[in-house]
Amino acid sequence: MKDGIIVKPAPFAGRPGWGMRLFSGLAASRRLSASGVLGVAFVVIVGAGTLFAPLFTPFDPLALGADTLQAPGWAHPFGTDDLGRDVLARVLYGGRVSLSVGLFSAVLSVVLGMTIGMVAGFFGGALDEALMRITEAFQILPKLLVAVVVVSLIGSGLTNEILVIGLLSWPATARVIRGRVQVIRHEEFIAAAEMSGASWVRVLARHVTPNVLSFLLVSAALQVASAIMAESFLSFLGLGDPAHPSWGLLLQQGQLFLQQAWWLTTFPGIALAMTILGLNLMGDGVAGGRAGAARR
Amino acid sequence: MLPVIVKLLLRRALLAVPLVLAVVTITFFFIRLAPGDPAAIMAGDAPTPEFLAQIRSEYGFDRPVWAQFLTFLGKAVTGDFGTSLYTKQPVFSVILERFPATVLMTGTAMIVASLIGILVGVASAKRAGSRLDTLISAASLVGYSVPGFWVGQLLILLFAVSLNWLPVGGMEAARASYRGWRHIQDVAWHMVLPVATLSVFLLTMIARFTRAAMIDALDQDYVLVAEAKGASRARILWHHAFRNASVTTITVIGLEFGAVLAGAVVVEIVFSWPGLGRLFYDAIYRRDFPLLTGAFMFSSFIVIAVNMASDVACTLLDPRIRR
Repeated sequence: MKDGIIVKPAPFAGRPGWGMRLFSGLAASRRLSASGVLGVAFVVIVGAGTLFAPLFTPFDPLALGADTLQAPGWAHPFGTDDLGRDVLARVLYGGRVSLSVGLFSAVLSVVLGMTIGMVAGFFGGALDEALMRITEAFQILPKLLVAVVVVSLIGSGLTNEILVIGLLSWPATARVIRGRVQVIRHEEFIAAAEMSGASWVRVLARHVTPNVLSFLLVSAALQVASAIMAESFLSFLGLGDPAHPSWGLLLQQGQLFLQQAWWLTTFPGIALAMTILGLNLMGDGVAGGRAGAARR
Repeated sequence: MLPVIVKLLLRRALLAVPLVLAVVTITFFFIRLAPGDPAAIMAGDAPTPEFLAQIRSEYGFDRPVWAQFLTFLGKAVTGDFGTSLYTKQPVFSVILERFPATVLMTGTAMIVASLIGILVGVASAKRAGSRLDTLISAASLVGYSVPGFWVGQLLILLFAVSLNWLPVGGMEAARASYRGWRHIQDVAWHMVLPVATLSVFLLTMIARFTRAAMIDALDQDYVLVAEAKGASRARILWHHAFRNASVTTITVIGLEFGAVLAGAVVVEIVFSWPGLGRLFYDAIYRRDFPLLTGAFMFSSFIVIAVNMASDVACTLLDPRIRR
C-alpha cells in the first residue's frame, strides 16, 4: 500500500488533499453508476442551456412580440405565449432563476444541516436528544405550506424564497450527517486527535468533515433537486417574482392557456423534470441507491 | 391492553402539543414580522379606520406582545381563525365548507397509492435484482422527480383536451344536476385524473420504502424458520415479512402526509377542485391573510394528527417499539 490507490486514508499517513480524499472515496466505495452518469448528462444539458442561453436563442425572455400564442415552428421552436414572448427564451432564462434559487437555498440548508448533524452526532447525550427532537418537528411540519404562508406574509422575491426554502430544508442533511458522525466518532484517529490536544472545533473541521464529504455531496444534489421543486411550487401558487420568471411561474401562466396552447406547459415542465430527475439520479448514483434514506 | 393504549396516546399527545405550539408561534411571529402594521395585514389592502380599530381591539395589538400571543394562541387552538377579509365569513366555517372535497380527493389518492405502492414494493422485493425490480426502481425515481402539478397538466392535455375522454376539471358536471347514484358516478368520473395525479408521488415513496423494508424482513431468521416449518410462500410474504415491513410503510405515509397535502393544494388548482387548495390560492391572490393563516394552521393540525396516528399504529403493530 505504499503508493497504490488509497482505499481508506490511514490515520497517521501524510494527509492527502481534500480533492484526493474525495476522489479516492468515490472511486473506492461509491463508483458512479450508469444511471448516475445519465443524471450528470441531464444536469449538464440543462445547465449549459441556461448558462449559454444567448447562444441558443436571439430572443429576450421579457420582450413582447406581435405573434401571440404561436405553436412551435421555425421562428419560435417552443412557440410563443399570450404576449408574443418566445417560450424557448423564457425556458432557458427561467432556468437561471430556478437553478439559482435551488443552488443558493441548497447551500444554506446543507451548511445548516451539516452543522446541526455534526454537533448532534459528535456530542451525543442531551444535546443530541434536543437537536433530534427539533429535527423531527421540522420534518413533520408541512414544509411547503409553511413556506407559502411565510413568503406571502414577508413578501415574495428571490431572496425571501431562498431564505425560506433553505431554512426549512435542513433536516434531511442533518439526519444523514448525524448518523455518519456517530460511526466516525469512535474511530481511532478521532481519539488520537483528541489526545494530542486538538479542540473540538478542530476535530470536527479537520478530522470529521473530510470523512463526511461524500455524504454531503449526495445530500447537496438531493437538496438542490428538492429546493427547485419547492421553488416551482411557490411560483405556481403565484408567489414567484414576476420580474424573474422561473419554470414554476411559466407553468402557472401555462395553466391559464392549457386548453389552447400545450407548448406553454410542456416545455418548461420538461426542463424542470429533467433537472430534478438528473440531480436525483446523480445523488442515487453516488449513494448507491441510498437516496431514499438520505432524502428524509 | 387498554392501559397501554391510553399511555401511548398520552405520550403522543405530549409530542403533539409542542408541534401545535410551533405552528401557532410561526404564524404569529411572521404576522408580527411582516413589514407594516399587523392590524393592517389582518385587515387587508384598503381597510376602513373602524375595521382597523376593531381588529386592533380584537387581537389586542395595543397590549404587550406576550399578551397578544396568548390571545392569538387561545383563538387558534379553539378554531377561531378570525374573519375572512373577502367573504366576511368566519374563516373556520369557510374551511369546514371546503374540507370535505379535499378529504374525498386526498383520502382516495392515499388509499390508491397505498394499495398499489405496497403491491409494487412487495413484488419488487420478492424479485430483488431482477429486470422487473430495476424497471420499478427506475419508474419510481421518475415518479418522485416529476412535479405533481405538471403531471396533472400533462394528463389534462392527453386525456381531456386531445382524447376528450375525461373532464378537464371541477368536481361535477356544470350543466347537469344529478341526484343519487348518477351524482356519485359523476363525481367519481371527475376524480379520476386528480386522484391519479396526486397518487404518483406517494405511490413511488411507498413502493421504494416498502421494497427496502421487505428486503430486510425477508432476510430475517423468522422467515427462515417459517420456511423450514413449511409455510406457503404467500403466508411467508404477507404474514411474516410484510407484517414487519408495514411499520416502515405506515411511517412513510405519516411522514409524507404533509407533502401529500401540499401536493393536493396544487393539484386542486390544476383541476379546479373546490377544496382547501383553491382556498389557499384564492387567499394568496386576494391577500386574505386571516383566511391564509387559518387554512395553514388547520392543515398543519391535520398533518400533526395524522403523524401521531401513524406513530400509534406502528407501536400497536410492532410490540418491540413499546418500551
